[in-house]
Amino acid sequence: MLLTLIRRELLDNLMTFRFAAAVFITLLLVVANTVVLLKDYERRLADYNTALKTHQDKLEEYKAYSGYELNIDRPPNPLSIFNTGFDKQLGNQVQVYHAFVPTLWDAQKHGSDNPFLNIFTAIDIIFIFEVILSLIALLFAYDALAGERERGTLRLVLAQQVRRGHILLAKYISSMICLLMPLLVSLLLVMILLTSSRSVSLSPDDFLRIGGIVLTSLAYLSVFYLIGMLISEVSRRTSTALMLSMFVWGFLVLVYPNMILAVTSPSSPPRSQIDSAMNQMEQVWTELDRERKNFLVNDPVPGESIWFGIGASGRSSEYLIQRTSKLNVYLKNILNIGKVNERSESQIPHAQNYFRFVEPRIIGTAEKTWLLRKPRLEDIFVRPAGIDKTLLKLSPIGIYDSATQAWAGTDLNGIRDFFDAARQYRQIVINYFYDKEVFGEQQWFSANPGAVDWSTLPQFSFKRSDSSINMKRALPDVCLLLIINVILFMAIFLIFIRSEV
Amino acid sequence: MWHITKREIYDNLNSLRFALTTVLLLSLMLTNAVRHLREHPKRMQKYNEAVTKSLDGLASHAADSLYMLAQQGPGKLYKKPSSLYFCAEGGEPLLPDTIEGGSPFGYAEHLRGVWKLKYPDANINMKRVGPDVTKVDWAFIIGYVLSLIALLFTFDAFSGERERGTLRLMLANSVPRHTVLIGKFLGALISVSIPFTLAVLVNLLLISTSSAVHLNTEAWGRLGIIFFIALLYTCLFLALGLLISTRVQRSAVSLVILLLVWVTFVVFMPSTLASIASEFSPSLSSEPFWKRRNQIQEELWDKYGRWLWSNEVNEETLTAKSKFFTKDAEAEERLNQERLTEKVAQVQYARAVTRFSPAALLQHLLESFAGTGFERHLQFGENTQRYAHQFREFVADTDRSDPESLHILGVREGMTKKKILPEAVPKFEDTLDFNKDFNARAMELLLLVLFVMVLLSGAYLAFVRVEV
Repeated sequence: MLLTLIRRELLDNLMTFRFAAAVFITLLLVVANTVVLLKDYERRLADYNTALKTHQDKLEEYKAYSGYELNIDRPPNPLSIFNTGFDKQLGNQVQVYHAFVPTLWDAQKHGSDNPFLNIFTAIDIIFIFEVILSLIALLFAYDALAGERERGTLRLVLAQQVRRGHILLAKYISSMICLLMPLLVSLLLVMILLTSSRSVSLSPDDFLRIGGIVLTSLAYLSVFYLIGMLISEVSRRTSTALMLSMFVWGFLVLVYPNMILAVTSPSSPPRSQIDSAMNQMEQVWTELDRERKNFLVNDPVPGESIWFGIGASGRSSEYLIQRTSKLNVYLKNILNIGKVNERSESQIPHAQNYFRFVEPRIIGTAEKTWLLRKPRLEDIFVRPAGIDKTLLKLSPIGIYDSATQAWAGTDLNGIRDFFDAARQYRQIVINYFYDKEVFGEQQWFSANPGAVDWSTLPQFSFKRSDSSINMKRALPDVCLLLIINVILFMAIFLIFIRSEV
Repeated sequence: MWHITKREIYDNLNSLRFALTTVLLLSLMLTNAVRHLREHPKRMQKYNEAVTKSLDGLASHAADSLYMLAQQGPGKLYKKPSSLYFCAEGGEPLLPDTIEGGSPFGYAEHLRGVWKLKYPDANINMKRVGPDVTKVDWAFIIGYVLSLIALLFTFDAFSGERERGTLRLMLANSVPRHTVLIGKFLGALISVSIPFTLAVLVNLLLISTSSAVHLNTEAWGRLGIIFFIALLYTCLFLALGLLISTRVQRSAVSLVILLLVWVTFVVFMPSTLASIASEFSPSLSSEPFWKRRNQIQEELWDKYGRWLWSNEVNEETLTAKSKFFTKDAEAEERLNQERLTEKVAQVQYARAVTRFSPAALLQHLLESFAGTGFERHLQFGENTQRYAHQFREFVADTDRSDPESLHILGVREGMTKKKILPEAVPKFEDTLDFNKDFNARAMELLLLVLFVMVLLSGAYLAFVRVEV
């Protein structure tokens, strides 16, 4: 019986105009945007490759260790075509330096695009699904029960020996099959476009992630279909149901996400909080500075200069860098000298002693600063963002967006993975320096004994997290969507079995 | 005809959609007003503080000497926030709010060039890790919500009556068809305008009664035009709704078509067209810029370099120094400007392409009349250029009025040593030009009117020929 019902509903839906129109529009929009998004991805990938090369060349310019500039780059995520998330917005290159611990907020951006073009809102495939599929789901659902009631066919069906639950289930299943069509067909086209592009290489993990995105999309669609069905059941007349569903759609998809952020309004973090954090960090560095000065005063060379009376041309700089907007303080101390004349050869061990003393302490202070800085960054940047995100989740669109971001790995966690890797890499670089004992070498501040061989430095490589981690991050949101589905279905079921026909 | 209009209005006033529309528009407009009242004073305060700081710097340079003024320039020039910010945000947070008129290049110690204009890039917020800051400005309320509502009011205008059979009845009377159409159109227009006007009134009442925000007469004039544009835009969607409704037998089908058209043209078209246009424009790398900059500087060094290090005070050395400084600054300013022009051209091309979508047209119009957005940013740039010219004239004129001076600008020894009054120095005031806005937007306004005309006549033709 259930199968007969499903078959009937399916045929009913498939032959309608709305089905054809829905498939057509979704395909049109998805294909047009995928082509653009793909081109955008290719451009970013090219930028990334150029940046890699430039940074390698730049590093090799440094003939002495001190003042080295080691930058690492974040490759663009191919799944950002599905949900751009933070992939384009946040910085994609960061400096690895022993005097500070790199974070997301220290990152810069490479790339040669025109930043003014950002005034146009970017569209990704998930956004298209968010808007179009939810609308189509409601258009399929508004007359599901009200229509049959008006035409009187519901009475006829119920006069047979059919259970009410079966009617609901049949309607739900058949409509979901219909709704799956535009989703799958457009996805198929996206996959064809993606695989035909030479620059995009998808790993097996990526296919799992895409599968996750499809499942989440299905749950999202189902939420909107059930909302439509609920409205259809409660309002009893098709015209009322239609009107109500359109307003509900407008509210959930258009109005709520915009309004809620306008109401909570991201206020800039309190000045006092930033100031106190900066003060604490400065104190740590002043302490180091005192130790440093003590060392300079107590060593056999008179004066506090880090030149130690070496007669040579070159440059030196020692200053504290304070970046309030990024909550970062660190000491940059560079001595880079050229040819040393013979008279000053005897002074060189003093300089070596100094750097052997100070650099490990700088590293230690950087770790201390990081311990202070980490919780403050969380307080000031991450927590308010988390609140906004939670508020957005009161609309299914927010849950869907956050779940697909997690699958694609373009959410905040995915981006932070890169910076975790950057921090690990910094540790590797420091260990490498310790192993080669470069802090106490003349090569640290002078290329006289020969230029530095940077080729033995371990290379940085970043792999996106496994799909299992993506799944772990997406699962709470997917569960939320499923729970909403179950609640809505129960509500419809309860109302439907108790209602008079 | 009035009879039909009246009947339509009565019909609509009692309907569910009217109530929902009123609630929706009112809540949106209230949010908008509250947000503006909270944010605008902060914006103004920031602007005023920045301007005061920049003027203080200017006064201290002026008090020092004319040379300092000629070297340091007017300092940072700030874009004045529009008091109609709530009408259209127009990507304002992304656009820089300042253009720098200062930063003389230091070639070496005691060897400093003269100031030039520098245009900062768009400021992408790389520190923000939360969801996108979205906006509830009038452009959003009108462009998205009001247009959707206009469709919801007209999708069943004819198809609904046809389904119920009342269309037959009405046309059986001796009423010309166009009267029915116009009556329906006016009825829908008035019933949409009622909640919209109410919401706008509440919004403006809140904003204008607050002491923190001041709206002058010109702002009210601009608001009037914005309101008129909003009605025109509503007419467009009403006409579209009527057109589809006459051609389609069932109102459900009519709504499906309308919604899909709406989603395509309003939600997706602007961004999709813009990204297509911007993806296919060449990427701008900064390398050629720096190459040319270095090349010019080298040429200048070759030409004037040998005088730069001498401390002699004779006319030849001073003239050479002055020429080097001014030419270098001029060249850099010109290069800066060229680079900006390239970027602007890309954005303008993308904006022009989006005009296919009425929502983008509305966005552009509202931005212009609210004094925000990209066009306004360009106007600000022009203002600063005009001011830069005025400032340089002032320096030259003041120097010329002193007979003892050598009239060699850009070097201390070549310029007048007379005191200058800080008050006499021209100050930068960012202004909005209403006529210019109107002229620049006339084309887009015309396009919008044309859209409405075409759709209305389409609806008329369709209705006249349709079988009932």
